[in-house]
Amino acid sequence: MKKILTLLSLVLMMGCYQDDDLVTLYPDQEVPQSLQIKELIGIKLESTIVTDRVAMNVKLPLDGKYRIKIRHGMNNELISQEMITAGEGDNLLKVYVASLEKSGYVIQLTDELHNILGNQSFVVN
Amino acid sequence: MKKILLLLVSVLFTLSSFGQSSISYSPVNTVTKVGDTLIMKFQYYKVDGGDLTLGQFDFEYNNKLLSYISHQSMAPTGASFARNNWTGYKFNPKANSDEDDMDVQYTWWKDEAGNASYSTSANWSVERVTVQHSTAYVDGAEFVKYSFKLKDKFNSGYDNYNDIIKVNWANYQKADGTGIQTEKNPSTQSLSGIEGGNAGAFVINLKTANSAKTDYSYTIKNGAGESVATGDFDESGQASISGLENDVTYTAEANLKEDATYLDEVVTVSDLALVFAEAIGAGSGPSGGSTTFDYFIQDIMGDVVGDNDGVDFQDSYEILAYLQGVTSGNTNLITQDGQTEDYSGIESTYGAVANNTVTFAKSFTPIDSDVSSKTIDLAHGLRGDVNFSHSWEPSVSSGEKTTVSSSSSFRMSSAAGSKYNQTETANIDLISEINDEGKVVFSINSEIEDMVGSQFNIVYDPSILSLENVIFDTGNEMTNFSNVIEAGYVRVGSFDQNVSSTVKAGTPYQLVFVPLEDISNASGLISFRVKEGVKADGTQINFIIQ
Repeated sequence: MKKILTLLSLVLMMGCYQDDDLVTLYPDQEVPQSLQIKELIGIKLESTIVTDRVAMNVKLPLDGKYRIKIRHGMNNELISQEMITAGEGDNLLKVYVASLEKSGYVIQLTDELHNILGNQSFVVN
Repeated sequence: MKKILLLLVSVLFTLSSFGQSSISYSPVNTVTKVGDTLIMKFQYYKVDGGDLTLGQFDFEYNNKLLSYISHQSMAPTGASFARNNWTGYKFNPKANSDEDDMDVQYTWWKDEAGNASYSTSANWSVERVTVQHSTAYVDGAEFVKYSFKLKDKFNSGYDNYNDIIKVNWANYQKADGTGIQTEKNPSTQSLSGIEGGNAGAFVINLKTANSAKTDYSYTIKNGAGESVATGDFDESGQASISGLENDVTYTAEANLKEDATYLDEVVTVSDLALVFAEAIGAGSGPSGGSTTFDYFIQDIMGDVVGDNDGVDFQDSYEILAYLQGVTSGNTNLITQDGQTEDYSGIESTYGAVANNTVTFAKSFTPIDSDVSSKTIDLAHGLRGDVNFSHSWEPSVSSGEKTTVSSSSSFRMSSAAGSKYNQTETANIDLISEINDEGKVVFSINSEIEDMVGSQFNIVYDPSILSLENVIFDTGNEMTNFSNVIEAGYVRVGSFDQNVSSTVKAGTPYQLVFVPLEDISNASGLISFRVKEGVKADGTQINFIIQ
């Protein structure tokens, strides 16, 4: 019975664990609440509806090269791609949409070898 | 001890239970007959879900039975609202999942399906609505209202109005970005008791490879050449016309508007390759002879100089000059920005050859006793578009060529009905990166070794980037071109007029941009539209960019 209780307690403790505690922030980077990412890795835009440009947080597991891809929101076709060199943790960047057609898109974070690390849908309005 | 265990189990159960919201959609009004306007509302119910600040959903409607009229944002003051639409697509729900589970379907679309989430389907149109607000959406509040015109099911391929609207997925989020579990209600929307079918309105179905059907208009003329009806096609490529008289012969024609935004993408290096091949093969037009074309209509479409003498080198050089951005001195008929040269005719005879002449028959006669005479299929093509990227490919057998070319290394038409539609796919990498000098370098990396032509139309933000240089490393024999079509839009590519040399593998093209303001990254600043290649045997290469 003690083993069961211990196991259940462990499950409960894990459920209450904050992922944020694991995040290493660069001291000179203050991540606004709208760009905070709870997970260890991911990509997040400040707003889903964008007109000209929008702030973006790219949260990375390691220093290195990564790809930021913009795909069409209907046929998944790649229409824009950037290679960035960035550091572990939060990286505050921008997405510029003024020259993109008004449409729905998905922005995607991958490693250099195209393994997907995060997605977010957005709309250029 | 039992109580402690029970408590722990209860806590665990609570942790594993999540609140759920819903998206509801239903008619605002009652529709009873063809031509009525159906108003649909889409609204949010909180139920036991979290406070919603982002509501995004995607629905599809049957465009053979409904025609979009308008939409009205119902978002509260201060909220952001966006509506997108795409015609010719249908959602593929996640296999072995609950289709009413909207957040599961959303995750499937965003993270799992890739390009498998939607299929092309001419009968369906997809709408996407996004509403974002800084404060929580009110329970029961509407997102949007849509108005649709109810179409006649006659000749639509459907015998009822069941399942004509369906919400595909929903992305509900709280202010911190946490997703809210969502279900839809109902599963699909159907209409019943609709009267007025087969009522006799005349219908034109537009036939074109271009998906932007609403950019086309029609004109109906009587025997005296007077216009009796004009209008635009709907998103499905249909137009319903009333007032035509039975037993009277009319003519119909279709036209593409000259301010369509994609006209610079109609004639490309693939068309150039076909026209060059035809010129090399001494194509001799409708009277037959050695040719590389599949249809006689291509002789008309490829005659961009307009000398009515079929396709010759003058036409090929004219297209090359156009792609290079060089003024040739000719007034060419190439479909391009601000210019269209339309061909249209009844589809069953479109491009047929009669008395050594390519024809575009336009006449039709509605007959009261013959319901099939109340509908015509109207095919449309564009000058210069010999690979039919934005034009209808003829189906009439008399329009097909049967002769072979022996003098060209390009493809050959060997017999009617065995048309050459070969395409290949190949991987390329198009990517931008900020270099050590702070400049944005856009590189086109290719390992393709047998490409005699290529073209890339690249869009950039001219308010942030200035194009400084285009660096070619395509080999010594290629004719390269780069020309700025307009501010923020550049065309880059190569073509070997001898159809023997090929674009060098590696990084054949690099575009160097100077930022006009401080930037730390370049996401979205550079995007690509046309990306085509063609091989020595005429095979078109469809590039895949991972």
